Amino acid sequence: MDMYNNGGPEVSIRSLKKDSMKFVLTNTDLSVANALRRIMIAEVPTMAIDMVEIETNSTVLTDEFIAHRLGMIPLTSFDVDRIQYTRDCTCSHYCPNCSVELHLHVKVTVDYEEMNDPNVDKTRQVTSMDLISVDDSVRPVSDDKLHPILIVKMRPGQELKLKCVAKKGVAKEHAKWSPVYGVAFEYDPYNKLRHSHYWIEEDEKLEWGVSANAAEETPVDPNEPFDYNAKPEKFYIELETSGCMKPEDVVLRAMTIMQDKLGGLQIKLDDEFKEDTQRWGY
Amino acid sequence: MISKSLEEAKADVKKGIKDAQAHAEAMFGGKGLADPIPTVEDKWKLLPAFLKVKGLVKQHIDSFNYFINVDLEKIIKANERVKSDVDPHFYLKYTGIRVGAPERPDQEAMNRSYTPHECRLRDLTYSANIYVDVEYVRGRQIVRRKGVPIGRMPIMLRSSHCVLTAKNELELARMNECPLDPGGYFVVKGVEKVILVQEQMSKNRIIVDVDRKGFVQAGVTSSTMERKSKTYVGTKHGKIYLKHNSISDDIPIVIALKAMGMQSDKEITQLVCGHDSKYVDKFSPNLEECAQKKIFTQQQALDYIGAKVKSPKRAFGPGIRRPPSEEALDILATVVLAHVEVHDNNFRPKCIYVAVMTRRVVMAMLRGDLVDDRDYVGNKRLELAGQLLSLLFEDLFKKFNTDLKMNIDKVLKKPNRTQEFDVYNTLLFHGDHITSGFVRAISSGNWSLKRFKMERAGITQVLSRLSFIAALGMMTRISSQFEKTRKVSGPRALQPSQWGMLCPSDTPEGEACGLVKNLALMTHITVDDEEEPIVKLAFILGVEDVSLLTGPEVYLPDTFMVFLNGNILGITRHSKQFVSAFRRMRRAGRISEFVSIFISDHHNSVHISCDGGRICRPMIIVENGRPRVKTEHIEQLSAGKLSFDDFLRMGLIEYLDVNEESDSNIALYEREIIPESTHVEIEPFTILGAVAGLIPYPHHNQSPRNTYQCAMGKQAIGAIAYNQLNRIDTLLYLMVYPQQPMVKTKTIEMIGYDKLPAGQNATVAVMSNSGYDIEDALVLNKASLDRGYGRCQVLRKYATLLRQYANGSYDRLADPPVHPDDPTIVQEKFEVIDKDGIASVGERIKPGQVYINKQMPTNTSSDIGVNARDATANAYKNAPMSYKSAMEGYVDKVLMTTTENDQTLIKALIRQTRRPELGDKFSSRHGQKGVCGIIIQQEDMPFSDLGVCPDVIMNPHGFPSRMTVGKMIELLAGKAGVLKGELQYGTAFGGSKVEDMSRILIENGFSYSGKDYVTSGVTGEPLSAYIYFGPVYYQKLKHMVMDKMHSRSRGPRAVLTRQPTEGRSRDGGLRLGEMERDCLIGYGASMLLLERLMISSDIFEIHVCEKCGLLGYAGWCQHCKSSKGMAKMQIPYACKLLFQELQSMNVIPRLQLQNVF
Repeated sequence: MDMYNNGGPEVSIRSLKKDSMKFVLTNTDLSVANALRRIMIAEVPTMAIDMVEIETNSTVLTDEFIAHRLGMIPLTSFDVDRIQYTRDCTCSHYCPNCSVELHLHVKVTVDYEEMNDPNVDKTRQVTSMDLISVDDSVRPVSDDKLHPILIVKMRPGQELKLKCVAKKGVAKEHAKWSPVYGVAFEYDPYNKLRHSHYWIEEDEKLEWGVSANAAEETPVDPNEPFDYNAKPEKFYIELETSGCMKPEDVVLRAMTIMQDKLGGLQIKLDDEFKEDTQRWGY
Repeated sequence: MISKSLEEAKADVKKGIKDAQAHAEAMFGGKGLADPIPTVEDKWKLLPAFLKVKGLVKQHIDSFNYFINVDLEKIIKANERVKSDVDPHFYLKYTGIRVGAPERPDQEAMNRSYTPHECRLRDLTYSANIYVDVEYVRGRQIVRRKGVPIGRMPIMLRSSHCVLTAKNELELARMNECPLDPGGYFVVKGVEKVILVQEQMSKNRIIVDVDRKGFVQAGVTSSTMERKSKTYVGTKHGKIYLKHNSISDDIPIVIALKAMGMQSDKEITQLVCGHDSKYVDKFSPNLEECAQKKIFTQQQALDYIGAKVKSPKRAFGPGIRRPPSEEALDILATVVLAHVEVHDNNFRPKCIYVAVMTRRVVMAMLRGDLVDDRDYVGNKRLELAGQLLSLLFEDLFKKFNTDLKMNIDKVLKKPNRTQEFDVYNTLLFHGDHITSGFVRAISSGNWSLKRFKMERAGITQVLSRLSFIAALGMMTRISSQFEKTRKVSGPRALQPSQWGMLCPSDTPEGEACGLVKNLALMTHITVDDEEEPIVKLAFILGVEDVSLLTGPEVYLPDTFMVFLNGNILGITRHSKQFVSAFRRMRRAGRISEFVSIFISDHHNSVHISCDGGRICRPMIIVENGRPRVKTEHIEQLSAGKLSFDDFLRMGLIEYLDVNEESDSNIALYEREIIPESTHVEIEPFTILGAVAGLIPYPHHNQSPRNTYQCAMGKQAIGAIAYNQLNRIDTLLYLMVYPQQPMVKTKTIEMIGYDKLPAGQNATVAVMSNSGYDIEDALVLNKASLDRGYGRCQVLRKYATLLRQYANGSYDRLADPPVHPDDPTIVQEKFEVIDKDGIASVGERIKPGQVYINKQMPTNTSSDIGVNARDATANAYKNAPMSYKSAMEGYVDKVLMTTTENDQTLIKALIRQTRRPELGDKFSSRHGQKGVCGIIIQQEDMPFSDLGVCPDVIMNPHGFPSRMTVGKMIELLAGKAGVLKGELQYGTAFGGSKVEDMSRILIENGFSYSGKDYVTSGVTGEPLSAYIYFGPVYYQKLKHMVMDKMHSRSRGPRAVLTRQPTEGRSRDGGLRLGEMERDCLIGYGASMLLLERLMISSDIFEIHVCEKCGLLGYAGWCQHCKSSKGMAKMQIPYACKLLFQELQSMNVIPRLQLQNVF
């Protein structure tokens, strides 16, 4: 099979934006493509707020509520490699090596002059812009200053003061660490391989439109005999990130992680074989 | 020749048609006569207008307002004088009554006004003073006083006297009140109490039915202010008798009539039978019987009845005894058919009434189908808070007056007084009989009125604040007086006459099924109205007084008897004209819009009703085949130029009660109007109630599914009220991110469910996955849970009183105990306690930790004044309140306040935040509940071609047998809504159409069927089937595993039996019951049985004397006074207990021991 002779998998990028990307993966097996997708969703490490120490909270939302909302805010994680997992760190609780502190302190003072003026909007929106990070490389994703992420709305006289600790983690543990919002994954848009059965009432062609990815492939010829040995060849993957890192970085990191995993597996297996050879002599 | 003329004729006809068409074109602007008449668009807008005027629980509020503003005065008037037996000159007369604004009872308070929310928090009763105006004799002069308080009346929220009425949202917010809260309940001792609507048979109406033995009888429940009694005219062996509780035997009907002064047999026959010979034949045996008994005159008849009268307890004392015939006359006048009044011994109206009853019995004897239907909603009356409170108040007020009279007599009896007697002082300090009577009745739900021998329990219920819908559903609930145990289906069945009045879906399952009902959306319940003007109007419209007529005239074929509230008013010979004239007057607003009139063709009678408790609803009037409400009216309504009441006043719509509804011809839709139509429905979906109104596309579901959803919607966790965070309820469930449903209904918008929702729009994939989804289990996406799906908060109240005891000692709070060496060390148990002895707000509290460190005095009984310095007298023992739960919580709120009797009340609210876990219960809005069976990682979840992962995977086996097509359409409409970016409607009998939804799906590149191409997350291969995929509104129900899971290895035991305790709350064991025991016996597992029943339970070692067989102790037999032959053995402690109990009753159980091996 020429797939293995051709020097391995290939990626051709169809579009690349700041927080989304489309590419075609060829020359590889379905399992590898799917593994890549799964790793992108669940195992690419990012930074997210993991602990919140609340000093004052007189807002309408409860402490856990605000903590949960803070956790969901995507943090820029371009430098995530620099930071260690807390479990691997030598410190007891958390330290600058394994975490980043963010502070938030908003106090809405009562303005007695405009207190009874119904025309003045006295609601203060506390957003991700109010989170002050000690480390500039890890801060809330806020490329669009007009639409920061709302944390809580406050009224005069209320105060919110807290300290957040952002940690490195993967989405296997909690979805807040997922770098992607969605990963679309498709192959064989014409259903040439017949991996799926269309549910039809009258006419397949009329009732089921082809996806946009079909433009990349040739339509199936109805007279052509069905090749039951055929394997999927092209995988159309599209991903959208939370903004915590560049989409191409997500893909690259995912590939690295896959390599590391396979590498780790190989080393482990080698060791096993060596042990076996030593023990049994074959 | 002939054929030609035929052709000509044909041509002529064709030409004629053409001409007519041309004419029509000219006249109607291109619209032919056969074209559909333009329908009134958006006539449903009348519904929000109705709800704006009436509100959702207007029945309760109207009824209470009527009671407080009208009925109170009537009661006062009926009991206006208090006289003295001692001083004949003395009297006290009530000249007026008035209920003030809600005020705090504390006299010294600076600001007397208070809000319902303060009452909820402080465990007070939301009530107002009742003031009376009095006129009384003081010495030799008459004194008048205004505004004397006699007690306090609980005030219904949002009633005319409540501080919340007519307040805007901002003002309500200042009072900590939710603008969406319907009101209609009371706050008594801090608890919200609803007086449920009670369903009863209507009073003062003749109901003909068949008794258990198969005999026809006509019964009337008479109800007047003074008394309630039941009178029957029934058959026995073909003859007719009068039955009443106060007469020991059945009285032949002719004798009864003769006793009432109708002595002529001919007159009787004519009044009962008219001139119908069939009736005469059926009736004549009764005359014969009377003649056989030789009763011909009134006196003879009275003597006959007098001998059978049950001697009543005499009010005048045993001294005066009247002859039996006089007693009989008295009973016939006042007790039998009490609602037909007898003035100046004129028995004529009552005679006619009895004759009419007899006639109805004779008719039913001749024609079996003429018996009435007891379950017909028109024969029912609903009793509301106002009526129940009015009964209660009259009782309390009478008691108040007799007590007052006793007190007055006590003072007046004294021969010489130091002061001139002023009854005002007695009145002022007369005690709180009325106040406590109200509070007791409402908080316990027991209405016991000795006057009417009424003893009812469970009238009130605590308002369920589990969810907004639960509270709303409770306010529309109707409970029936029928016993739940009776196995009759009639009262439980769905009645055709409840169409539009009572919700067909919303009823509980199980024992109360069909007996507890709910009001439909547009129902109104009438209050009592004045009879006088209606009597006058009826006579003006040509009703003839019946007393002036003889039998044959009354029963002429065209003659209709006119009844007003069940009483005979007269006859009319032109019933149709009379009724239509009457209706015209009503539509013109000359009489109340709630007066109903209808013709009963079976009985040749016209019935007018203006009594309270009738269910009615508004409908659009149709005249000449066209509805009176036109598009321009609706436009003006939308523009706010017209209100619902204007529609009523203009005679465009009118209220019909059940009886009049049955007499009308109502078109469901405008297109269905026929020439005979009299009305058209405002909107078909109003046949459902508020709770069933949440269901999208309910008309596509199997009907029990809608009923199940009605029960489950009340258990859904969501937002409760805008003031939910200010409330301190015993148990409060809140959802963290509630969403309004993607597929709404018009009802949802009108009741405000979109503002206080209970659920979330979950992306559902209908497919089988993993095998952990069988039997309705759901598969949840872990990432969704991480992101807040189904997350909820549980807040629980823990309260305590700091009591003050009779001896002057009192409870106190203590700071955490200090470590003797290092004051900075605090025990873990007391970690969250602040210096004031209460946990500080925001603290995380672990199970077992103390949140209120209360101490109680050891000595609460004896006087401490004497030895106050004694250390033991001032000693305190610890009585801390510690947190008992499996999960840690946070202290949400602490309230410290005083109650009405100046005791310090501390309430602590402790909050838990929970994310869904395995076994938590969820449900869609279609009666499809399920528990979470497995939680799956996002990357393992199947996903659509756009990369969309479902939040919930639902097993498709839930559909075929349940037939909840509404859920499928909800998914389709929800998906279309998401793609188009707008909410869709699933209103009953309407809503977004499937075809339109499919079109939107196609426009957005989806399959019209709602199915998606889905890839397996595990393998990356597409699933071979296409998956029904889209958003469905899912509710999280209050049943959570955390509150239910329970296990025990060792633990507490009951004191008496030493067996393990029972129940999760006592950390009890799980019982190996009789049937389980039987299984083990059958299996022969004797050692296991021994272990379960004795060793793991209440094993006990006893010493038995082999000689006497009695129990000894420590190797010594007290009976034989020896330690010889004592054996040790093990028996269950319960067995030992039995032996001892038997001994205490002089039964000696002896144990005879033998060696087995």
